[in-house]
Amino acid sequence: MIAPGDAEAKPRQMPADSLSSGGDRQRNPIYNQLSCLADNARSFIRVNGLMHIPDGYLSPSTCAVLYASAAPFWYVALRKTKKMLFTRLVPLISVFAAFSFVIMMFNIPIPGGTTAHPLGVAIASIVLGPWASMLALSTALFIQAVFFGDGGITTLGANCFNMAIVGSLIAYLSYRALAGRSAITSQRRVVAAALSGYLAINCAALCASVELGIQPLYFKSATGAPFYAPYPLSIALPAIMIGHLTFAGLAELVVSGGIVAYLQRANPSLLRFSAPGIPLPQEEAQLVTRESGWRTARPLWTAVGLLLVLTPLGLLAAGKAWGEWSVHDFSSPAARQEIAKVSQNVTPPAQTPSGLERLSTIWTAPFPNYSPPFVRKPAFGYILSGMFGIGIIILLSTLINWLAAKTRHGPPGAHTRAEET
Amino acid sequence: MAARMQSRKSGFLERTTASFVDALEHTFYAEETARAHGLLQRLDPRVKLLGILALIVPAAAARSFAVIGCLFAVTVVLAGLSRVSFSILLKRVWIAVLLFTGVIALPAPFVTPGRALYQLPWLGWTITSQGLASAGYLVLRVETAATLCVLLVLTTPWNDVLKALRVLRVPVIVVTILGMTYRYVYLLLQTAHDMFESRRSRMVGNLTGRERRRVAASSAGVLLSKTFDLSSEVYLAMQSRGFRGEVHILDEFRMRRFDWIMLAGFTLVSAAAFWWGR
Amino acid sequence: MSRTNSNGTGQLPVYEVCDVTYRYREVTALKHLNLTVNPGRRVVLLGANGSGKSTLLRILNGLCFPDEGNVYFCGRPLTAENIESDGFGLEFRRRVGLVFQNPEVQLFSPTVFDEVAFGPLQLRWPDGEIRRKISETLEMMEITHLKDRSPHHLSMGEKKRVALASVLVLDPEILLLDEPTAALDPKSESHMIDFLVQSKGSGKTIVTTTHDLDIVEDIADDCFVFHEGRIVAAAAPTEILSDVALLKQTNLLHAHLHVHKSGALHTHPHLHKHES
Repeated sequence: MIAPGDAEAKPRQMPADSLSSGGDRQRNPIYNQLSCLADNARSFIRVNGLMHIPDGYLSPSTCAVLYASAAPFWYVALRKTKKMLFTRLVPLISVFAAFSFVIMMFNIPIPGGTTAHPLGVAIASIVLGPWASMLALSTALFIQAVFFGDGGITTLGANCFNMAIVGSLIAYLSYRALAGRSAITSQRRVVAAALSGYLAINCAALCASVELGIQPLYFKSATGAPFYAPYPLSIALPAIMIGHLTFAGLAELVVSGGIVAYLQRANPSLLRFSAPGIPLPQEEAQLVTRESGWRTARPLWTAVGLLLVLTPLGLLAAGKAWGEWSVHDFSSPAARQEIAKVSQNVTPPAQTPSGLERLSTIWTAPFPNYSPPFVRKPAFGYILSGMFGIGIIILLSTLINWLAAKTRHGPPGAHTRAEET
Repeated sequence: MAARMQSRKSGFLERTTASFVDALEHTFYAEETARAHGLLQRLDPRVKLLGILALIVPAAAARSFAVIGCLFAVTVVLAGLSRVSFSILLKRVWIAVLLFTGVIALPAPFVTPGRALYQLPWLGWTITSQGLASAGYLVLRVETAATLCVLLVLTTPWNDVLKALRVLRVPVIVVTILGMTYRYVYLLLQTAHDMFESRRSRMVGNLTGRERRRVAASSAGVLLSKTFDLSSEVYLAMQSRGFRGEVHILDEFRMRRFDWIMLAGFTLVSAAAFWWGR
Repeated sequence: MSRTNSNGTGQLPVYEVCDVTYRYREVTALKHLNLTVNPGRRVVLLGANGSGKSTLLRILNGLCFPDEGNVYFCGRPLTAENIESDGFGLEFRRRVGLVFQNPEVQLFSPTVFDEVAFGPLQLRWPDGEIRRKISETLEMMEITHLKDRSPHHLSMGEKKRVALASVLVLDPEILLLDEPTAALDPKSESHMIDFLVQSKGSGKTIVTTTHDLDIVEDIADDCFVFHEGRIVAAAAPTEILSDVALLKQTNLLHAHLHVHKSGALHTHPHLHKHES
């Protein structure tokens, strides 16, 4: 394995050009393997979710709106943090932003055997509070975008808005609400942290998918070719949410809960900010939690299970929508009118594009069915199709977990297959 | 789902370490090329920042293939004149973007409603011209913007990028925070890397899923605690040299005639791209 | 102990530490400590790790303040209010410089040049003056070639030199050095010791903490031995070094023997030196 010293020392003697041709790296099998792995990891961030929206996916006007929406939050956050931290602001935010950056590179093993990258938004909000967390995450996102090219420059406002701002606020509020007035070392705080992380990253993903999904609605050529992100909400929403309700969401859940459980044992004073008025544990109390720190996973899964039970109930309440695939709408004249109206008078093809038919069964989520009603009543439509997505995904992921648990002692191949469903 | 599976139980440690190494390498060769003598390297960082932004925005906005294509060509020429090696661009940007955005754009020709162009023989899926155009827009746009962004970083020392942000009226305090963050990203990357390496060397046998999650989360927790100690130490070190919350920096850029010419050039190209790309 | 405790020359002592107690997270780091530092002297605080000497250095730099007792700097009490006041605070920062043990925390700027410029900029020197002073200091420390480098690409010895330069640029009369030779390769170490030896007679007051017995004689006029938050001996270096019983009792000799026996398990900084 390459030590960081090697990684930095070797190319230093090489002119820049020889870096490209590989120099002695090509000959180093370990390096090759490493860079291969690194590439996998990087493409995984990207494929796993369009959380870091790159340049070119959003129209400049959308970008401008989101920069404008983020700006007042940045302003307030900077002022509030300055007031709270006084002269400590600069070093604390800088070093914590660096931490956020590094944590985004962690591969978190999630139940089922694969890994995903966390965002660390919940842990940042819990430890620093929502305002400082906003600043730290925005800083980290800036460096990711400009220096490492993960996420775009024009879309930086959007990415900061989704992840740093919405994420921090949701995470902080839900953590405070879920943790209540429980003791700093209580398991309830671990569960609260885990769920708030899960919630925050999914809200951020929801924002991102809405931003991407409205692009083809408003920005297309005279013939109807979308200029920016090409997929309508009906595709963007489930496609992005699936990744986040499962992989990215679970990674966030594991990291948030896990770090809080760790801090309860090792450094409870860091949890003080988000637990105002609650005394720090005494020495004996700490010893008790040291024993039970990791049994906390059980209530967490109970909570997820509860969610799971509740969501299908919500689905049933939604009535006949289940199973009524919207591809049929393409052949119904009324629905075609509707679609044409929405898509700025471009009449959809008389026949369902058969690709769509295929895709719709792949996504297994309700399809344009929701598009027309939700254009009229946006909030309702989103919540509904969001709930559908959540229900299906949670069902799926539980199934995966269950299968994974069953096959844990079986052949490794069975293990892998279970997750690819 | 494109999630990659690994049968190795502790694979997450390898993968995480690998991404650390990758990031360290990236910082490294960015600094190397930034010191080369090329066209963009000689330019005042403020002009470079404004100029490249002025190209990225029309690239993200233009509604014509020709305009985006021209911007891409300009970018490639700039890269060539700045001695940024094409194989780095190819590997780091062009192929990476093609893989990512290409995969995302792949279904677009099939699902976008429009004039049917071609039907895949065996699958029976229809490709629409609108869908094809939209996939093309996306890929070309993202390629151009990403190349420009990488060009900025590869030809400008990071510190200069940050100081140049001052022309965009970014407050001094934000510029300082960004500079310090970058500095400590490196330190924490190295810390985390060492931590993972030592965990790996101590790891005997396979871990269960729960154990792996525990290792990952407690590593993150250790790093968090270290982060806090570090930040309070840094705070003391800053105080010790007279820091009282307000930051002052030296502005040391000077515009030469070459810079003005290039600024005019960037403005011209950008304005033209906006005009024709409306 | 009274503030007018004079050194016989009629000059006020640079530091007077009177009955100082300091607690840090349930641990009492300093216990009823008394100490006087006179101008122009090179003082060494000798002690094993965790004996409280670094904490004292931070108190002397006005970074933390004792829970009990008082510290006087040139006759004026070092309190949080005084340090924050514009007049005394800025003057104090100009006159006193602290070099941290871990250069990573001290090198927080993006480049070496910015690092060295940080102090003068905070003290609002005029730009021309800052540039002149920086190039002078870089020259003196032989690090001009590192000017545009990022601190993270430097070797440990280079980092330490940059850290020292970032403090020396302010031309402080009083220099506080926390373990200046820890974790250095032999060449950098001798460079650092040369600097400390040469500074004799420069009029600077230098307070150095160390647990390295080998360098004490070269760099000290006065020596204080720390043990568990107290000063257990104060004398000339030769006297201290000949008192084997004292050194053993304060873990200063034991530490060395321990290293040779148990090898890599021990993580004290000086261990690296012995290994290399």
